[in-house]
Amino acid sequence: MSEATLPRRPAWLAGRATGPRLARHTLTLVALAVLLLPLADLSVVTRDPWTELGRMLQGLAWPDFAGVESPFRALGLTVSVALWGTLAGVVLGFPLALVFTRSRLVRAGCAFVRAIHELFWALLFLQVFGLSALTALAALAIPYAGIFAKVFAEILEQTPRAPADALPPGVGRLSRFLYAELPLAWTQLAAYTRYRFECGLRASVLLGFVGLPTLGFQLETAFREGRYPEAGALLWCFYLLIATLPWWSHRRLVPLLIIGGAFLLGPWPAVDGGLLWRFVSQDLWPAPLLAGDWAGLVEWFASIPDLGPAIGNTLLLALLGTVGALLVAMALWPLASRHFGNPASRLAGRGLLILLRSTPELMLAFVFLLLLGPSLLPAWLALALHNGALIAFLAARHADALEPGMPGLPASGRLAYELLPRIYPSLLALLYYRAEVILRETAILGMLGIATLGYYIDENFQYLMFDVAAFLLLVTAGLNIAVDSLSRRLRPREAPLEDPCLR
Amino acid sequence: MAPTEHTHETLLALDGVDLGHGSQVVLPGLSLRLARGERIALLGPSGAGKSTLLAALRARLGATAAWCPQHHGLVPGLAVYHNVYMGRLAERSALANLWNLVRPLRGPWREVTELCELLGLEGLMRRPVGQLSGGQRQRTAIARALYQGREVFLGDEPVASVDPHQALRLLGLIEERHATTVVALHQRELALSHFDRVWGLRDGRLAIDAPASALSLADLDALYPDAEATSSGTDRHDAEPAAPSPEALPCSRGRA
Repeated sequence: MSEATLPRRPAWLAGRATGPRLARHTLTLVALAVLLLPLADLSVVTRDPWTELGRMLQGLAWPDFAGVESPFRALGLTVSVALWGTLAGVVLGFPLALVFTRSRLVRAGCAFVRAIHELFWALLFLQVFGLSALTALAALAIPYAGIFAKVFAEILEQTPRAPADALPPGVGRLSRFLYAELPLAWTQLAAYTRYRFECGLRASVLLGFVGLPTLGFQLETAFREGRYPEAGALLWCFYLLIATLPWWSHRRLVPLLIIGGAFLLGPWPAVDGGLLWRFVSQDLWPAPLLAGDWAGLVEWFASIPDLGPAIGNTLLLALLGTVGALLVAMALWPLASRHFGNPASRLAGRGLLILLRSTPELMLAFVFLLLLGPSLLPAWLALALHNGALIAFLAARHADALEPGMPGLPASGRLAYELLPRIYPSLLALLYYRAEVILRETAILGMLGIATLGYYIDENFQYLMFDVAAFLLLVTAGLNIAVDSLSRRLRPREAPLEDPCLR
Repeated sequence: MAPTEHTHETLLALDGVDLGHGSQVVLPGLSLRLARGERIALLGPSGAGKSTLLAALRARLGATAAWCPQHHGLVPGLAVYHNVYMGRLAERSALANLWNLVRPLRGPWREVTELCELLGLEGLMRRPVGQLSGGQRQRTAIARALYQGREVFLGDEPVASVDPHQALRLLGLIEERHATTVVALHQRELALSHFDRVWGLRDGRLAIDAPASALSLADLDALYPDAEATSSGTDRHDAEPAAPSPEALPCSRGRA
């Protein structure tokens, strides 16, 4: 009798409510990663990683600033490339943003240039402009134009309509934009541009890895040659640059930086129009295609090595990186939140997150690669730590803005009942946004010798097989666009991310 | 301002028109007449269709009407001067408008200064609207409507966020500069004391369309469903939350 009246205990994880649904979602993702894990090559190749790690940490703890050759020149160039690259991105992207919602062609074009990483653009331009400032600027400006076009269009779309509706009849399109649309979006546009500039700084450092003389060039050389105190000094320079960003990138200083930066940019290449045209019209295309030889094209296609495994490795690494980032984020965010620990632990937690977040993932992967040898493992660790720390940082900030309804709960209860249910939807949404970024980064990690698509792109550029490299770039871009639309479909609708600076 | 011989000339007439937004009709089969020189108060509970009616009037009157929207519709990032200037944005070229953002044009600056002095906004002209108080924003929105210099004034609750004394002064300014006004209000007393005619909307109908002199506060109360529920007293703000009195209910229903 009494059993009949008792409501049946609901099955664990069943039902349409947000909590169980997101939990099912997460568990599926983790299960998929675990299932596919045996396919990944996670071997540790180096014999004694711990001694090497000890030496690296020693270098970071006792940096040798005197050993660095002209650090200010490299720093200056890094900043001016980021500044001018972002500026050029804004100049190119802003007009595109105005037609973004109306033109399918513009949207597709922007999705394409966004889908290719800055470093690949650099590799491409390197072939025509050489190791010059033009290569560096174009590598930043072109993908950023696509990103700015999309994000600016979204921001402008969300401006309130009331002021434009209040205008008297007969106001021209341009006047309406200048008075009733642009001023309403201005703060957000400026904030996003600032955020993109910070991304540009990291990308500018990375350009050193393909040989441009930014900070990354000296960093890579120092690491590769085992001069860790010097590498430590350079890393500290970079952290200092990022940490002091709010002060030196003050609104009034920016024009000064832009003008000053122009003098640091260089060297400028002598652009040979004929050579450029030959590269664009012939070198990038498969020769049989240009000749109209279809049988030859099939042959050409068959000669491309290991496309399947490369795509498989890229996707696998992206999946592992995404799941790893989720685990890292879940483990790390309480360290930096005001709801847990004591002031000292929070300070340490925040410091750790900032350190992991500001180090470019390629840099992290490079360090792990030196430690563990070439396999998917260093790349996975780098992706998980960098992106996980980034998500953890934002999750902690979100949690800090919340006020628990039941004060005096023990820490575990606070975590499980008060905070996690509230921040988890947005944490997962953020993870899905990052999935596309992670895939893009996966590809560039190939440049370090990890067998993803990027490895083959880098290799083909080195062998001057531009047609194959261009084809692989197209494959990479297509993969990115597909994963982006997939993650857009999967991400939880409960937490729309209003702030574009989170992406 | 309003010559008497024009008083009865019809400015706009609606005859059985369905008003709404998109396919959703808010005010079905509406008929009314707006005469030149008339001052009309538009009353009704929230959601009765006041904004819909005003939007329809605005669309039909076009360039003859100055418009002061609900919640001001100001641009928080721009200075008071620029927000007021927007009233005549259509009169200059895009290039002149662009230059005006960099450096105010001399003529408009002088005219806007005069208006701002009248409205007590002097000294605030360079301040972004986002930094102003509610009342100051309200006055900026009115200044922008006055700056348009049109024959008809259409206002959607233009005196909602100022104190009663200021409301009187602002309505005076509006009337001084416009022959014809249609103003949506919540203050019933103002509607009777300051306007020629009252339009009262309720349940998608024009329940009241009568000269203000022929109406009492009790008549206006019939527009508000909450007023019936509390008591039939003239001042519903002081009414006790009591059970509806059996006499009051049929009485006010009958009138509406």
